[in-house]
Amino acid sequence: MHFEDELIGLLPRLRRFARSLAFAPADADDLCQATVERALKARDQWQPGTRLDSWMYRIMRNTWIDTARASRRRGETFVAAEAGESIGDAGDRAIEARVELGKVGRAMAMLPPEQREAVALVLVEGLAYKEAAMVLEIPMGTLTSRLVRGREALMRTLEEAA
Amino acid sequence: MSGEIDPEMLMAFADGELDPLAAKRVEHAIAGDAEAAATVARHRALRATLTQAFDPVTAEPVPPALLAAAKSPNVVDLAPIRNARRVSGRRWWPVGGAIAASLALGLVIGGQLGGGAPVTNRDGALIASGNLDHLLNTQLAATQDSAAAMRVRVTFRDRSGAICRTFTTPALGGIACRDGDAWLLRETRNRVATGTTEYRQAGSDDAAIMADAEAAMSGEPLDAAAEARARANGWRPQ
Repeated sequence: MHFEDELIGLLPRLRRFARSLAFAPADADDLCQATVERALKARDQWQPGTRLDSWMYRIMRNTWIDTARASRRRGETFVAAEAGESIGDAGDRAIEARVELGKVGRAMAMLPPEQREAVALVLVEGLAYKEAAMVLEIPMGTLTSRLVRGREALMRTLEEAA
Repeated sequence: MSGEIDPEMLMAFADGELDPLAAKRVEHAIAGDAEAAATVARHRALRATLTQAFDPVTAEPVPPALLAAAKSPNVVDLAPIRNARRVSGRRWWPVGGAIAASLALGLVIGGQLGGGAPVTNRDGALIASGNLDHLLNTQLAATQDSAAAMRVRVTFRDRSGAICRTFTTPALGGIACRDGDAWLLRETRNRVATGTTEYRQAGSDDAAIMADAEAAMSGEPLDAAAEARARANGWRPQ
């Protein structure tokens, strides 16, 4: 498959990953855009036969970290927690999903970035621990310790909210 | 019983990440431990909650601007470039030996990066020099640009308390540990030699370096604050 076709096929998953990292839909879409642009510029560095999804996750994660760092430098807040609740015009189920995303997204947004990215890759994107550790360029033991702390914090937050 | 099962193991069990033998052990343990069983259930419930919350995003239409960005007009056939790029054999350079090889490596990489050879030999030991020494002395893993060609990945203490750092350059990856006023190269591996490269796919060498770092590590890698303190302290052991 051509690089572009495969990339286009990945866009829905990349948007989901972006939403779990950046939370506010507009920020998440900006993140996707920046990620795709970086990936196209760097495409000769991708080795055919290796997984494009892992490579794209890694670029997105790095883009997110760079953007977050830049906005902290400018004194902006990292996360706009009030965002993400724009109710769509779709049916009840979709609205329910939006509200649910609001609650879960807010809980995610409270996690430190290094826990949030571990949770996002494993629980939202469904990567195996080993794959997630490779994307994040951290040892397995570090991944599992961040993951367990992130999950415990999420469980506390969501159970309190329930 | 549950005393032997730590929280990470329960989580890994809930995620189906344990090998069959370890999974059996946890299964037996939680059979007699309601609290541990509840923890496993909570882990699974959380996964379901997150899936339900974020999966609908994949059903949303992709914004046209994003789709347009992905359909880049300047499509280049990269096959010739890739074929021209020779993948050099992966080799492992045992520290303490292979001095001649390291010097050759230093010349090659030094030429690529400027700023002198990154590896030199001092009294039979390989130490970082030039740009690599500068990188290890000054760069915090937490604040570097992910696009940098030379990067520090993880900073940690080994069991003796010495500060060690894993690094990658376009051609070389490894682990360097502070020894007096120098960075002693405990392990170096050459990487596929391409030009600059921000997003080279992590190869087996990178994974091997991470695994070796983990094996040498005492506790967890330093976080951003601890890393900054270590730098301010001249990377001296604790």
